[in-house]
Amino acid sequence: MTAQSTQVKEDVWIPTSCGGCYGQCGIKAHRVDGVIVALEGNPETPAGSGRICAKGTAQLHTLYDRHRLNYPVKRTNPKKGVHEDPKWERISWEEAMTTIVDKLKNMKDRRGCYFQATTVQTSEIRFAVPAFMRAFGFKNYWVSGGGLWCGNGAHFMNGITHAAWSIIPDWNYNNYTLYFGCSKGHGAGHAALQSAQWVADARVRGMKAVVFDPYLSTQASKAEEWVPIRVGTDAAAVLGMINVMLNELNTWDADYLRWKTNAPYLIKEDGKYVRDPETNKPLVWDLGDNRAKPFDFYEMDPFVGPDLALLGSYTVNGVQCQPSFQILKDHVKENYPLEKVEQITSVPISTLRRVAKEFAENAQIGSTITIKGKKFPLRPSAAIFFRGSQGHVNSGWNCLAIDLMNHVVGAADVPGGAMGHGPPVSHGHPDTGKPETIPYACPDGLMIVKGWVYDHKPYPLREPHAPTRLDLQDMFPSSIYNAFTIMSPDWDKYREQFKLDYEPEIMINFGSNSVMTMANAHDITENFLKKFNFIFSFNIYQNEFTEAVADIVLPDASFMERYTPCVTFPSTFCHPTGMDEWVWQIRQPLVEPMFERRDFNDVMLDLADRLGIKDKYFQVINDLIPVRYGGEMSEKYRLKEGEDYTWTDVCDRVLKDRLGDTKGLEALKKTGLEKWPTKPEEMYWRWHVPVRVPIYFEFFIDGGQKASKLLAEYGGENLLDLRFYTGLVNWFPCPSHTEKRPEYELWAFCWRPSFHTQSSSQNNPWLDEISINDPFVYLMQINEDFGKKKGLKDNDWVWVENSVGKKIKGPVKLVQGLHPEHLAVAGCHGHWARGTPIAKGKGQFFDDLIQVGIEYTDPLTQGTDACVKVKIYKMKEGEAR
Amino acid sequence: MTRHGFVIDLKRCYGCYSCSVACKAANHTPQGVDWAKCVSAEIGTYPSALRQMLPLVCQQCAEPACMDVCPTGATQQDENGIVTVDPDLCMGCKTCMMACPYGARQTVSTFETYFPDAEGELDPYEAYCLEQWELKNGFGLATKCDYCKDRIADGKDPACVEACPAKARTFGDLDDPESEISILIRRNAGFQLNPEFGTDPSCYYLPPR
Repeated sequence: MTAQSTQVKEDVWIPTSCGGCYGQCGIKAHRVDGVIVALEGNPETPAGSGRICAKGTAQLHTLYDRHRLNYPVKRTNPKKGVHEDPKWERISWEEAMTTIVDKLKNMKDRRGCYFQATTVQTSEIRFAVPAFMRAFGFKNYWVSGGGLWCGNGAHFMNGITHAAWSIIPDWNYNNYTLYFGCSKGHGAGHAALQSAQWVADARVRGMKAVVFDPYLSTQASKAEEWVPIRVGTDAAAVLGMINVMLNELNTWDADYLRWKTNAPYLIKEDGKYVRDPETNKPLVWDLGDNRAKPFDFYEMDPFVGPDLALLGSYTVNGVQCQPSFQILKDHVKENYPLEKVEQITSVPISTLRRVAKEFAENAQIGSTITIKGKKFPLRPSAAIFFRGSQGHVNSGWNCLAIDLMNHVVGAADVPGGAMGHGPPVSHGHPDTGKPETIPYACPDGLMIVKGWVYDHKPYPLREPHAPTRLDLQDMFPSSIYNAFTIMSPDWDKYREQFKLDYEPEIMINFGSNSVMTMANAHDITENFLKKFNFIFSFNIYQNEFTEAVADIVLPDASFMERYTPCVTFPSTFCHPTGMDEWVWQIRQPLVEPMFERRDFNDVMLDLADRLGIKDKYFQVINDLIPVRYGGEMSEKYRLKEGEDYTWTDVCDRVLKDRLGDTKGLEALKKTGLEKWPTKPEEMYWRWHVPVRVPIYFEFFIDGGQKASKLLAEYGGENLLDLRFYTGLVNWFPCPSHTEKRPEYELWAFCWRPSFHTQSSSQNNPWLDEISINDPFVYLMQINEDFGKKKGLKDNDWVWVENSVGKKIKGPVKLVQGLHPEHLAVAGCHGHWARGTPIAKGKGQFFDDLIQVGIEYTDPLTQGTDACVKVKIYKMKEGEAR
Repeated sequence: MTRHGFVIDLKRCYGCYSCSVACKAANHTPQGVDWAKCVSAEIGTYPSALRQMLPLVCQQCAEPACMDVCPTGATQQDENGIVTVDPDLCMGCKTCMMACPYGARQTVSTFETYFPDAEGELDPYEAYCLEQWELKNGFGLATKCDYCKDRIADGKDPACVEACPAKARTFGDLDDPESEISILIRRNAGFQLNPEFGTDPSCYYLPPR
């Protein structure tokens, strides 16, 4: 080695945003002579404030992983299916693009195109996916894991009640958190690192967490108390506790309910609002004048309003009616007595009663706090949920029920309470007023979210109409993803029955591994993916999806090799919620894409160009920017017709328009971010935005009836269980709860290790190394007493079989940290793709136990049930492991 | 004098392994070496069972058992109490590994790539890690955590401290009664692991509850 070659020529730190999960924390990368040698947290940003998790640091290996895809390849084995060897053959980019363009140009009907994308690269899917869809002319779209791993129920419901993607406690002030099936603050991507610091601070200062979960999860281990609960029964437990609060403790935040919810709205016998004959506005009962008035008859100062009735029975224009709060109070009393709730959930009556009391007391109803000179209610109790609560037939109602705890005590978007996350109210950068997002009210006074990521807002509900999408989503009022149609063996029949006049033809896949993230691999592949004539896919690895069904796979740049104009807005999962600064963070390449890898954004532009739809593509981006980043594009930076822009041009214009003329891409590349102060009325917005939210869901009644009528026109009324479309929160059982055959002894469910991201991280050697060292990740856990009764010991291999005979196998671990009626598996493991040899064969593929069909589908959100009743038995000697 | 020490707050730690991976990256430890190991265990019985993570580092004992037994003088203690191995003097006899009651020392005899199924040469990052490892440590020799001595010299925190999402780790001076770690230990009943080993560790833990 000569002296010259050891001399370091380059030594720089580059600020960017992590893409190891959807948390998008700010990081910086150390580049020495062209090689990235370190990734660390960026102390300049509130989104992580200098910290980095295991997944983040481990991205070093993802960048350089020698199993990465470096060249375009085509399938030479025409046979498709799970476990097939595609027999890849390297091709040139030109051959790949020519083939793709040729296939797209020769489609029978462009509507038969289908875009499938990953949830992990959340910011990358903001533009290229919808721009191409609208410019090319199709509506079919699926987010990988949507409906199963992702949040059908959670996003939808939080959108209705918090104008946000998720909820997290305001740990700065929170004293008491109820967790249901979520790990926020313990590694989950919801502002992952910021939340972890806040919850640790809160724990040290004495915040108490009580975790309802069948599994002794990370968050349960850290909590004051773990309450083991039967899987999928969260709503029953919560409604029992609401019953205690409303009918035993007589505790509720009357001011909040009167002025910030529809609790005072008068409801008649048919469950609908009593409306003003003149204005059609819902009526409330003014106890001052003792008569009914439109809900918005008064001008309200913060904290002071008229005395509206929450309880009692009234007669308005000869119609008997009651405030919705009275109806809710009676409903939980009649239908959720603690004896019944204990039977459903297995949680002792005494525990339910005590926790309800603690939650109510900790809410400190009536207390206030002054922050930066402004007075706010202080409600330091919060009930939060996510994936665990919503992975059930009762997905939507589970989420609404848990969140109702917060609304009963007024702990919603006020200091200490449950906060919309990311922050749904933003007044914008002081120089530009963008991004601006403020929720507004519908004519009935209920909140409508301003910006939203899905093409349809959670409220008002979609008007069900004749289907235009291959999954029939348009026929259902509150569906986000419909798996039960596309994955059914009857998909062809459904399309015929509902008179869809086109067929699935071409699928475009961006980064997703849907074979492992939508339910059992066989049904997805055979009933759905194999129906496409041609599939091309952008991936960084070959995975179970590409190997099963892709025809051409394009080597994508990783998040470390591309530009993204913004990762922290729309602030879905990543922007911290609290009084830290606002931050606009970009992503930039740390190194040029290696080998023949190309950035997805560039390739989609190339494709649009070759198809002659580039102008339209840019126009859609113009239209999308206000939806994504709040506020119209100025004339100066709008993408103009006839102009040719590169992806970096687009990024530059977005940045200058949102942040100011001097803050384009070149400027932001130096800092990686732009910050500005938060206002307390942005973060704690609830009493500063004139909207109400429902505690009674009157609009579901109409939504359900409309959908049912529409479905009936096609003879499909069996596809909607109208019992779910009521105004009142309920618990409905999953098929697993009604399985009575005695040999099905256990409920199986999956959990997520904090150091893995969906199905995308298992080939990382460092994350694999810690998974091997961890005692719980690669083994299936059963309760020790149950295991001993079955004659099982640690590392015995067993079969786990669901009610229709589908099986997974693996070694068991006998544990104390699991409800005895359950079996717990770490989700998204058990890979088998040739392209990810490190991940291959490690852990178990839980989703193979999941069935798809109308009986496993939440009628409200069309989410898929992910709890399964199983029998387990020891593998015989000599059976292949 | 300054005595470099660690406080690991088990109440803050939620067992995410960020320290382990940050250490691997900062110290370029090869496959099979994990200086910031985390040990997870289940305590108690259902339904009041607990799972607790115990994150480990070299305890940088004031009376290091590993140093006394080193036949070549490779193991040394610096003026701030950090115990190091001089790779030029270490002959790989592993006596120190047997002597350390905390299992802090590790060795691997040969380099194994993390990508055994991949074709071709090492990728630039793995090649860089290998070069760095050979420069500062080596194969067949005793290796251990040195509280990221080089980083400390640059005024930074050790890599595991800086990474920790829950801010469970604090680095500082045990000899200064007013240092953050001294105060944390005093106020929160900080304890050493197995003090009965008699080596007086410089790493303290704060109780999980």
